[in-house]
Amino acid sequence: MLTVRQLTIETKEKKLLKDINLSLYPGEFTIILGANGAGKSTLLNSLAGGDIGISTSLKQKGNIFFCSKDLKDWHPKELAKQRAIMPQQVTLGFPFKVHEVVSMGRSPHGFDRDAKSICEHALQLMEVDHLIDRQYPSLSGGEQQRVQLARVLSQIWQDNEEHDTKYLLLDECTSALDPAHQHHVLEVIKHFTVNNVISCAITHDLHLGSQYADRILLLKDGQLIADGSPKEVMTQANLRDTYQLKTKIIRHAEFLNPLVISMGRKLTETSMPQKTRRK
Amino acid sequence: MSRVNPLWMWLLFAALLLLTSAWSLITGALDIPTQQLLNVIQQSLGWTPSSTIPIHFQITLMEFRLPRLLLALLVGAALAISGAAIQGLFRNPLADPGLIGVSSGAALGAVLIIVLGDTLLSHWSFFAGRWALPITAFIFGLLTTLIIYRIGTRGGYTQVSTLLLAGIAMNAIAGAGTGVLTYLADDTQLRSLTFWSMGSLAKASWLDLKVVAPFIILPIVILPFLSNALNGFLMGESVASHLGFSVRWTKRLIIVLTSLAVGAAVSVTGVIGFLGLVVPHLLRILVGPDHRLLLPASALCGALLLALADMLARTVVAPAELPIGLIMALIGGPFFMSLLLKPSFASNRTL
Repeated sequence: MLTVRQLTIETKEKKLLKDINLSLYPGEFTIILGANGAGKSTLLNSLAGGDIGISTSLKQKGNIFFCSKDLKDWHPKELAKQRAIMPQQVTLGFPFKVHEVVSMGRSPHGFDRDAKSICEHALQLMEVDHLIDRQYPSLSGGEQQRVQLARVLSQIWQDNEEHDTKYLLLDECTSALDPAHQHHVLEVIKHFTVNNVISCAITHDLHLGSQYADRILLLKDGQLIADGSPKEVMTQANLRDTYQLKTKIIRHAEFLNPLVISMGRKLTETSMPQKTRRK
Repeated sequence: MSRVNPLWMWLLFAALLLLTSAWSLITGALDIPTQQLLNVIQQSLGWTPSSTIPIHFQITLMEFRLPRLLLALLVGAALAISGAAIQGLFRNPLADPGLIGVSSGAALGAVLIIVLGDTLLSHWSFFAGRWALPITAFIFGLLTTLIIYRIGTRGGYTQVSTLLLAGIAMNAIAGAGTGVLTYLADDTQLRSLTFWSMGSLAKASWLDLKVVAPFIILPIVILPFLSNALNGFLMGESVASHLGFSVRWTKRLIIVLTSLAVGAAVSVTGVIGFLGLVVPHLLRILVGPDHRLLLPASALCGALLLALADMLARTVVAPAELPIGLIMALIGGPFFMSLLLKPSFASNRTL
């Protein structure tokens, strides 16, 4: 279990997160929604635990516990065996081959005997096994993203014998993917989650969010304004509040979760840029 | 281009290294017959009595060529492995101890001792003795690295472009300092300064070797242990930390170790540029960018290349000598330009 208690993160100028309290459970796929700058990535990075150590400009109050042990007390190597993060963007300019990039995911485990088969399996799951000998910088954006996902999955790969809880954090992991791969990736992650994994992802895609999430967190200005199942959270009022976006929520008999149709922001005449009148 | 099997690469390098070493020991102003080289080797292993070898061969080999060869190997390895490590740390294949100012910083430290060692800094040179030069060079190299690193780092994250630009500024400042000291130097100091600022192994002695060997061997032994962390670094500092590497300690360790190696190298041979740039670059094409292979291979290939270049420096205009720094610059400059012209370089580099 991953527990966040009274978490506040601030820079000198601004509070990025305000008094967040929540618990995430194994087997649960949580999606974080919110407008730009709402604090989604900050929340994800603090859940990761590693970034605070590098960044000197962020101040953290409150605690995050994983398996009832404060993240700060985890040894970095041990934590790396049980949690993986997919960042929004990974720039790698050096000519590593795809299989080398993925195998870096096994480095916390000291490149154990199973490393090779795990990496191959992860590459297959992400449907990039045909690129195995290509150089990473020569891949397209979507392919790079899938390779990074394979790396992240291989880092916390669940063995059959192992029963450690693991957690997976994804920051807009589908942003460069075509619709088919977006669904494929989320299906894989959902499947991965079932095996004693806590998964938490950021997305801007309301459809994907509501279709695959077990639970949705809505963030606004660093505060948690809604937390619950897609049915509970995806309401017109909540979405208007978060995004200033007009929506219609449709419940369809075939789908468990609500469908969201965006109606635009319905900008008023006055808020549109006026044509400058020549004098 | 497809990569070379690492085993073949090791065998090739080892063979070339042996050949180059033997060749560079027997060639020079005084040609030594191969049989005599074998005799000297047998004798130093205690197999044959010493009387069979002419004394001038023995002295040339043992007192001049051997220490010089060993120094070339050590310095070459130090510069190349430092180049590879710095490029990994800064996530940029253009970083080089020379380019980012470490070499010229170390050079400034060394020039300080050469020019002011008898006057202003006499206490320090008296106190540190033979070690004054390498230690001062190391301290200045370290200071330069720390300064450019400080400037390039905001809120815990390192910005590579700022770092390289800071390196250019440090090069200018250290160059100006060296210039002022050159201006102050007397005639004898000036001669040793000019020769030294172009880089040369001509004054190699066993004593030099003893003084700098520990400073160079330590980084060569420790740096490869940081290979996995460096691989992680190439994907960014946060990815490295998420893979469980201690970002802060790895950075510090690499900065100190490379400053140590480069400072020590510069203190005995002067500034030899481009080796740290050219060697890792060639090897990335040959064996790929994985530091577990790249770092030791860079050390070996750097040693090989500098031994070869030094042999050229000694023999091309014999009995006179070319400064080896000039030779490396003549090879390295055009090589660097060809890197910039490569289309693949322009497209996937985020400087």
